[in-house]
Amino acid sequence: MATDAHSLKQLVLGRKDVQDLSDNENELPPDLMTVNMGPSHPAMHGTVRIVLTVDGEKVVKSDVQPGYLHRCFEKESEYATYTQIFPYTDRLNYVSPMINNCGWAMAVEKLMGLTHEIPKRAEYIRVIVSEMSRMTDHLTCVGASAMELGAFGPFLFFLKSREWLYTLLETISGARLTHTYVRVGGVNKDLPEELPAKLAHTLDQIEKVMVEVEGLLNNNKIFRDRMAGIGAMTKEDAIATGCVGPIARACGVDYDVRKDYPYSVYPELEFDVPVGTTGDCLDRYLVRIEELKQCIRILRQCLKQIPDGPVVVADPRVTLPPKTATYNTIESMIRHFKHIVDGIKVPAGEAYTFVEGGNGELGFYIVADGTGRPYKAYCRSPSFVHLSTAGQLIHGHLIADIVPIFGMINMIGGECDK
Amino acid sequence: MSTTTPPQPSAAANPPQAAPPSDVVTLTIDGQQVSVPKGTNVLEAAKLLGIDISAFCYHPGLPIVAQCRQCLVSVEKNPKLQPSCQQVVGEGMVVHTTDKQSTLARAQQLEFTLVNHPIDCPICDKAGECTLQKLYFEHDNADSRVDTPKVHKAKAVDLGPTIVLDQERCILCSRCIRTCDHTSGQHQLEFANRGDHEILTTAPGEQLDNPYSLNTVDVCPVGALTAKDFRFTMRAWELDATPSVCNGCATGCNIEIHHKNGRAWRLVPRHNAKVNDYWMCDEGRFTYHDLREERLAGAVVDGLPAGWDRSIKAAADRLAVGRTAGQFAVALSALHCNEDNFALAKLAQSWGVTQIYIAAKPQVPARADGRLRVADINPNLNGVKAIAEALGMTTKPVYELDGNIRGLLALGDVLPGLDPGKLKDLEYVALAAHERGPVPHAKVALPVSDWAEVSGTVTNKDGYVQRMHAAFGPPGQAIPAWEAIVRLAGATGSNLKWTHPREVFKDMVAAVPGWNSLTWARDARPLSLRFAGSRG
Repeated sequence: MATDAHSLKQLVLGRKDVQDLSDNENELPPDLMTVNMGPSHPAMHGTVRIVLTVDGEKVVKSDVQPGYLHRCFEKESEYATYTQIFPYTDRLNYVSPMINNCGWAMAVEKLMGLTHEIPKRAEYIRVIVSEMSRMTDHLTCVGASAMELGAFGPFLFFLKSREWLYTLLETISGARLTHTYVRVGGVNKDLPEELPAKLAHTLDQIEKVMVEVEGLLNNNKIFRDRMAGIGAMTKEDAIATGCVGPIARACGVDYDVRKDYPYSVYPELEFDVPVGTTGDCLDRYLVRIEELKQCIRILRQCLKQIPDGPVVVADPRVTLPPKTATYNTIESMIRHFKHIVDGIKVPAGEAYTFVEGGNGELGFYIVADGTGRPYKAYCRSPSFVHLSTAGQLIHGHLIADIVPIFGMINMIGGECDK
Repeated sequence: MSTTTPPQPSAAANPPQAAPPSDVVTLTIDGQQVSVPKGTNVLEAAKLLGIDISAFCYHPGLPIVAQCRQCLVSVEKNPKLQPSCQQVVGEGMVVHTTDKQSTLARAQQLEFTLVNHPIDCPICDKAGECTLQKLYFEHDNADSRVDTPKVHKAKAVDLGPTIVLDQERCILCSRCIRTCDHTSGQHQLEFANRGDHEILTTAPGEQLDNPYSLNTVDVCPVGALTAKDFRFTMRAWELDATPSVCNGCATGCNIEIHHKNGRAWRLVPRHNAKVNDYWMCDEGRFTYHDLREERLAGAVVDGLPAGWDRSIKAAADRLAVGRTAGQFAVALSALHCNEDNFALAKLAQSWGVTQIYIAAKPQVPARADGRLRVADINPNLNGVKAIAEALGMTTKPVYELDGNIRGLLALGDVLPGLDPGKLKDLEYVALAAHERGPVPHAKVALPVSDWAEVSGTVTNKDGYVQRMHAAFGPPGQAIPAWEAIVRLAGATGSNLKWTHPREVFKDMVAAVPGWNSLTWARDARPLSLRFAGSRG
């Protein structure tokens, strides 16, 4: 009977009981082993593949291979009008699409000499939606990373908070995720009347949630053990590899585009840039938590300071006429037609603009040839730069440590693979 | 000479010496100096500097009337604005196109032109390639100050067999009137009435039916004149343009094939001062329909479909019978490009053939009008003759086919004068794009590309060897004829190793006297009409 039970187990599970193993089989193999992590792995955000060479559980070599989400953003942009590219930018960092929208709009505006013509209200709206997007980005990153370390509560709390913001962004733009809300010269439409009150309420709620989550995580022994001292990077390395955003700031690099190269109405707003000291995963976490608080601070100021007025520049070169005029006058009809079919005429030239994205400096470089579409578009995506350091960061750590390291790098496939 | 271009006056700097030659005039436009031949108008001189002065009625191929007043510019020492299309350049003239006065004049003129223009863009065939849209967007882009109701006129006026007129859209530039006068010599269009009731029309009871009528549609700056053939079929900005040469007759008018997704939607003339200037005939424009008619899309052996390998082998076997007995003929086609014919002639030569037949459509003397239309409706008769002569072959028309012939390898889908009954008794192998005429009688029919689908050259009536670019791929299993010939050569043990039409062309121009200096131009990439100003 016993033998039968053993053989049945062997048949079903495909393995023997420990006591039935020979000495030879019982030993761990002495050779290095190659393991694939990804491209589809629950702990790999987006689709990225890491080919690991492991010595037991220790990573001795890793080959990070992005590209599984490549959508030809840059090449496709050469075949679309400047306005048609906004939906493409939504799909770069799809956790904070509003910031991408703003970055692209600013690059085109720079080419057209409109940078200082944008109405104040439009600038405030852009900052409001950008900071909301930054919050959704950080909430996702922190929540998902905590979940991957076994803390499911904070994940649910943060994703619920994110959903509140998504709902508000949906009332603003009409779409929950791919907003396409910003336009060259301003934004698509004004904020809904009830938004300020709703946003203020949501911010209060999120503040309460954050107290809860910080209580659950900050001094949690498991969480700290898994985060502190893991995937640390020096300030010099961060600068040398081109790291930006929360990752660089966690290493002690005091660089935030909003402060160092101020754009839009950020100079009119008070906020601090949190900077870490150790550059490990815990610091990246703490920097993001602090940035969330700063976002709330910025948003509250914006709600107080936002002026009334138009939300898009009154320049017939870039602004669609009102629909009633389009349907009733030939002049507006032609202008509408030219905007939609031929695209905004952008004078020939080159421009690079950069904004502080969820993951750091997000840049757009455009070569314009005087027609309705870019001759060449380039996206400086922070995720791609950060991912290039991943191999270095996970080197020497255990396989299990890849999860928090990768989570805190916050690689977003759409942005990394462009 | 492979594609001829008109001589361009150069925008070179001033002559270094003191006195410029008397036939060159130097003037200043917007602060930039330019030297142009005497008699040039200011508008053309500005074009050389990249300054685009707006204009409706001016067309480089037509007489100048200066009636749209859209191209007004300031000329120093002249109190009034001058129409730049009519203003001939003068030595030392100083012209301003961006000063307040002329900018305002252009904007106001556009506002005036739009007063009675209907809100038709969404349903107008010209939308997307409309001069009025372009000029309004670039030179005015302001709202109208007029709020009186628009004057309504007749819509969808049937002008004749080819054209429909929308009188509301007409901006009365008279380009079409002058085009009819100039291209066909027939004065079929005229203005009637006065003021804002003025309309374009034909004489009572008359039609716009000259053989060059569709040129009026090309020159129309708005959507007033639309071609019955094209209207409501395709939006202009969706199309891609590939340069080619019309295969309708021996004139070889330079054209653009406007196509989308492997299908041609219209042909429009392309400027070539030596061949067709800015024009082409209506008959030529309609030849694109034939690209989709009765196409042979797969190889056929004995009336049944067959793959390429089997049909090539079958063709080689069938031809072998006649070839060994010397009772064998090869027919070149005046409807196919030089490369196809050269490849076939070389194959025939490798088989020891010294007398070759030419299949050409019979002449149509009624067509010849001393303008663009000629009696010879074969696009490449001159080329075929030149190739045969260069290879030392005697030629005969295909209807003089020898009685004792048992095998025939013929290019093209026309064998004029040949009795189909006689074909049935032959081992006839066809290289054809269409399944019609003699092709259904072929023992083996090999599908090949039609003219719009090949990269190649044709030789026109004046001996110009002109380049055609492939606009899209052939249907089904069809391949370019020269390629089919190379495969056939492989199956019959002949040594033809071309892999690209450029290689065929290179060998051909080396062989044909008078063509030695010709070069193969880089393949033209389709130009998206939506972004036509972009590149290309």
